[in-house]
Amino acid sequence: MKQYIATFFSHFGALRFQKLCSQLDWPARLAPVPRSLSSSCGTCVLFQTAELAENDLSQLITPELEQLVLDDNGYTFLYTVEE
Amino acid sequence: MMKNERTIIIATGVVVGLIASLLVYFGNPANMGYCIACFLRDTACGVGLHSAKAVQYIRPEIIGLILGAFGAAYAHGEFAPKGGSSPLTRFTLGFFAMIGCLMFLGCPFRMLLRLAGGDLNALFGLVGFAGGIYAGIFFLNRGYSLKRSYKMTTLEGSILPFAAIILLALLVAAPAFIHFTKAGGGPGAKHAAIAISLLAGLAVGSLSQRTRFCMVAGIRDFILFRETKMLWGFVAVTVAALLCNITLSAVTSASFFKLGFFGQPIAHTDGLWNALGLFLAGFACVLLGGCPMRQLILAGEGNSDSSITILGLIAGAGFAHNFGLASSGAGPTANGQIAVVIGILVVTLIAYMNTYKK
Repeated sequence: MKQYIATFFSHFGALRFQKLCSQLDWPARLAPVPRSLSSSCGTCVLFQTAELAENDLSQLITPELEQLVLDDNGYTFLYTVEE
Repeated sequence: MMKNERTIIIATGVVVGLIASLLVYFGNPANMGYCIACFLRDTACGVGLHSAKAVQYIRPEIIGLILGAFGAAYAHGEFAPKGGSSPLTRFTLGFFAMIGCLMFLGCPFRMLLRLAGGDLNALFGLVGFAGGIYAGIFFLNRGYSLKRSYKMTTLEGSILPFAAIILLALLVAAPAFIHFTKAGGGPGAKHAAIAISLLAGLAVGSLSQRTRFCMVAGIRDFILFRETKMLWGFVAVTVAALLCNITLSAVTSASFFKLGFFGQPIAHTDGLWNALGLFLAGFACVLLGGCPMRQLILAGEGNSDSSITILGLIAGAGFAHNFGLASSGAGPTANGQIAVVIGILVVTLIAYMNTYKK
């Protein structure tokens, strides 16, 4: 199992993502975005699953998703929204 | 740094509380080492945007908070201009947050400092503030959003920090069109030396940028996530300021701590309106994503949504004094009570429209 962090533009985006994780049977919880990841305050979803494949990623990307990060002894950015 | 985030937030809270208490020792109004609402209001009057003669002073703490956050963000590669998330809605929320704060006579930061000075009226404010945060969370959990922000130009993100430098120049140069409350003329005449206030602002601004210190986040994060880090910071500010106030009272001839409801400095005893004022402020601030101080810090990081919010707070302060909405030691005004009710209705409507009618 790998630990991932997903950040969002709104709190509700995080809530919806958490529901999606539950449907997929991935352990997931809401938390403030870690300070080490961002200086802005928002809600993130910390979730665990086996390593995400490319087609998994495309399912997870919604307009509300800001960043998707693999947290494994340091952050690996898997997705960052275009500014 | 991030591994011991809670320890660092508590340490920040202690430093912030000590500085706030010492600012009163150095000349700021009682229980008002910091008050972002009051200081934005004083600054607005200092440049003549309203004409309440008792509260005219460009507060260097405000300038320092913005520039301290700007410096810390810049040094750590976190100066990131962005904006465009419902700016006029944010202006309106800032406007009414100020109306609520001036009903209570203080922002959430001063609420803690009033408690630390023994002013028990602030307990009513705290109850209302927590209720307002709860109301905001009700909508957050049902889909409230002001839409995403976008990357902006460096110029867009730099305008407010630049304006802060201009304000500092105006304060120091003191041309005839800048207003100062005359000695003995009210809270505006009470202030620490410019350098002390500025340094205090810079210190708290940079610390707050590093830790995301926010008076709303403590209670909000506890309700949303049972996360207590920021709540401990909240407690640390209060306890540090309280202990420093008691120590100062013991070692100087002045009084910095007086327990009770009556005769408290720059405060009134109307519990209902103290609570409703900060209910409105807490509600609006959750919808904005942070307390008035946090808006200054984010503005320093280049966030023009927060800069617009600050302009809303300043406009709210101007109207509050021009229309007789701000309370005084004598209590709330009827106009102010009407404005707070209107504010609660407007903020509820904004929350509803951005939750269910998108």
